[in-house]
Amino acid sequence: MTQILPQKKSFWSLLLLTVSFCIALAAVLELVARTPWLERVSPYRSVGNFDNQFEIKWFRLQDYVKQQGGVDIIILGSSLANTGLDPDIVAQTYYQQTGVHPRIFNFGVDGMTIAPNSVIARLLVEHYHPALLIYVTEMRDYIAGNGIDYETPFLNNPWLHYQTGDFNLPGWLEDHSSALQHYLPFRNWMSPDFSGTMPIYLRRYQVTTASGYEAEQAVANNLDYPPNPNNPEDAQYYKDYGNYKIAPSRLKNLQTILNLNQEKGTSVWIVEMPVDPSFYIFVGGTGVHQQFQQTIATVTTSAGSSFLPAEACDNIPIVGRANRWHLNYMGAPIFSKCLGSQLAVLAGQQKTSFINGNSLK
Amino acid sequence: MSITTLVFAAFCAVSILIYWRLPQHYRPIWLFAVSIVFVITWSWELAGILLVVATVNFYLGGWLGVAENRRRILLSIGIGFNILALLALKYSGFYIIALTNLLEKMGIHTGAGGLHLLVPIGLSFIAVQMISYLVDIHNRILTPEARWLDFALYVVYFPKILSGPIERARTILPMFKQPKPLDTQKVEQNCWLIVIGLFRKIVLADTLTTIIPAAIFLHPGAFAGQDLVLYLLAYAFVIYNDFAGYTSIVRGVSGFFGIELTSNFKLPYFSRSISEFWERWHVSLSNWLRDYIFFPTSRALLKRIPKRDNVTNLVVPPIVTMLVSGMWHGLSWNFLVWGGLHGLYLLMERLSTVWSPRRLLNELPKWRQVLSALGVFILVVLTWIPFRMELATAWQYLIRMLTPSAWIKPDAWLLWRYLIGKAKVNSWTEFSLPDIRVFIMLIPALLLDWKQSQHKDETFFTKWPVWGKALFLASLTLVLVLLSFADTGAPFIYVGF
Repeated sequence: MTQILPQKKSFWSLLLLTVSFCIALAAVLELVARTPWLERVSPYRSVGNFDNQFEIKWFRLQDYVKQQGGVDIIILGSSLANTGLDPDIVAQTYYQQTGVHPRIFNFGVDGMTIAPNSVIARLLVEHYHPALLIYVTEMRDYIAGNGIDYETPFLNNPWLHYQTGDFNLPGWLEDHSSALQHYLPFRNWMSPDFSGTMPIYLRRYQVTTASGYEAEQAVANNLDYPPNPNNPEDAQYYKDYGNYKIAPSRLKNLQTILNLNQEKGTSVWIVEMPVDPSFYIFVGGTGVHQQFQQTIATVTTSAGSSFLPAEACDNIPIVGRANRWHLNYMGAPIFSKCLGSQLAVLAGQQKTSFINGNSLK
Repeated sequence: MSITTLVFAAFCAVSILIYWRLPQHYRPIWLFAVSIVFVITWSWELAGILLVVATVNFYLGGWLGVAENRRRILLSIGIGFNILALLALKYSGFYIIALTNLLEKMGIHTGAGGLHLLVPIGLSFIAVQMISYLVDIHNRILTPEARWLDFALYVVYFPKILSGPIERARTILPMFKQPKPLDTQKVEQNCWLIVIGLFRKIVLADTLTTIIPAAIFLHPGAFAGQDLVLYLLAYAFVIYNDFAGYTSIVRGVSGFFGIELTSNFKLPYFSRSISEFWERWHVSLSNWLRDYIFFPTSRALLKRIPKRDNVTNLVVPPIVTMLVSGMWHGLSWNFLVWGGLHGLYLLMERLSTVWSPRRLLNELPKWRQVLSALGVFILVVLTWIPFRMELATAWQYLIRMLTPSAWIKPDAWLLWRYLIGKAKVNSWTEFSLPDIRVFIMLIPALLLDWKQSQHKDETFFTKWPVWGKALFLASLTLVLVLLSFADTGAPFIYVGF
């Protein structure tokens, strides 16, 4: 008995001390993570999402809002929006025509179709209350199952669950712990493809502007001639996009985005991406495209929002394209200027400036 | 239910608390019940198969115990039953297609996916335990177990069911009846065994497993020579820490029930001879092979030619023993080659003792001990090549690893230009640098083994001051939390056997 008692005591004191050390270590790491020094040494942050471009945009928007005091307009979409629109040019063009300088951020993320974007849209509106949400869309957004390989892991992320009201400890930690956010970009350091994915992440982190634009350097070299069904790449596109149909579930996603107007007071503008016209050959020709536009326009206008068809900005030269869908660093400024002008027209029609309270004038 | 999950921890905690509250008479019943529940979490069919195996061996053992005549026949039936059960269930892949085709030809339809047989986890481990039980009864060094429940518990006891250790009935059955008392010292020791096990498995083995590119063991031709060497080294530490980690966890868990399981690993990579390696690596299997294959073979040969330095007496026992070891791991050429190589190593060692008298390893000068350990380590690591991959691929791996032209010089110039921002790369592999992550992980792996060997105690942490232990535990907890955010995790390698 006399031998056991001190051991019992040491067991509990070990447990207590371990918990204390755990808390102390976590607190020290958290403090270090919140110092400007770490921000300088390792500015990269993550919330444990598989799509590191989403995370670059998420934190860049946080920084943007911190710097600018808010955001008036958020551009949302896939990689087409990411590389196709420079918010600074859109804002400048808008300013030239209206005399008002809106704060615009580009939240276009690679691989995100309208399904995950309908979730992202709500998150952004709830966090930042922009006056206008521009959703950049295109025909492939509405193909059932398109982009599911991005959608599933993105939507299954604990942090996203936490953000959408489903409490879980990992998600809470990822959202609140600065130390964890600074560690997470490197969390897969042991993964064999880390040596390939990390340089890409670092490069993207560096080239993405403060307003969320990422310029594409590639120039398309195969758009002069129509798609060739004998070319394996084109044959795959024919297979993927031929027999084009709008999936009802994807229209519901569009409706979810449009509902933000009524529910949260954020205006929604649906903008069709001016992709290269040769793309419409894959889906069955311009007739199919017009039918698509009609459907989207009907859904959009009946929700009290506006739809800007691709033809409104079809002045992109071939040299301004990276491929059939994406614009490059030469095409993006042209589309951005066009969108800025169209935005000014829309503002005039709706008798608003799309500016939140404390905007820069 | 994986043993590294919180669900398993909760399952164990509840089982242990209730176990010690029960009178001794009911404890084996409780242990049997929780073991069956554990097995059912893997598959209920497995529970059925194990109970059939237990029942058949229980009655065979009983008959062997009382039989005066035909004891050899009974033993042969018993051994045959266990080997057949193993072959039929574990190696069903060999005959299932032919059987399906035959049934289809006979007009019996087997369904869309053909015939399926359950591959019972841990059956290789159970089969050898059953054989040793029957042999021990036959040799009259063990009396048959009288109570079916205790014997069935020996078969399904959950801490050891997945991958051993391979326990002898004569050591474990008495502990079911009279578990070792649990004092706070034992509690702490068991806790440390679990902590060390988790460290070995999650921090060391799982991390190294993820670092190793999966393609390297399929297409070694696509990798540089130095990568093949480095990742083979990493694999050597994966398999060791994976299995040693598993054993440490289950020993800790079992200790909480007052049932001490065999320590399967005794710092095997510090062995100074191949025979010492087999005294330190998968000890419970090595001991089984020694007692039930090596010694009987040696005795049988010595009976025929009673000379120790006779060539047959020298050659056959180690080769046969290690070939059986290879076959136990799997009926394929690569495991046979792996076993054969170890048999060959052991044979060389035996032959060397014929010409020069064997000196005790501890009496060798320190430098010779270090050199021997290094040599043994290299020889053992080389055997992991056929162990890990198909024979043709293993050969390709070995050849490429030893071909100087397959070794690529690091591109220091590109690295320098990248660091100063003058060059862009798509992947850091373009620098052709050795994977530094392997070295980073080898440091704690070696440090743990070195500390254990210095203290001659695997739970040496218990001697640390309280604050030291607490700091270590707190750091480990944080590391485990951080690792849990990575998209990694690997099953235990030996659960596959």
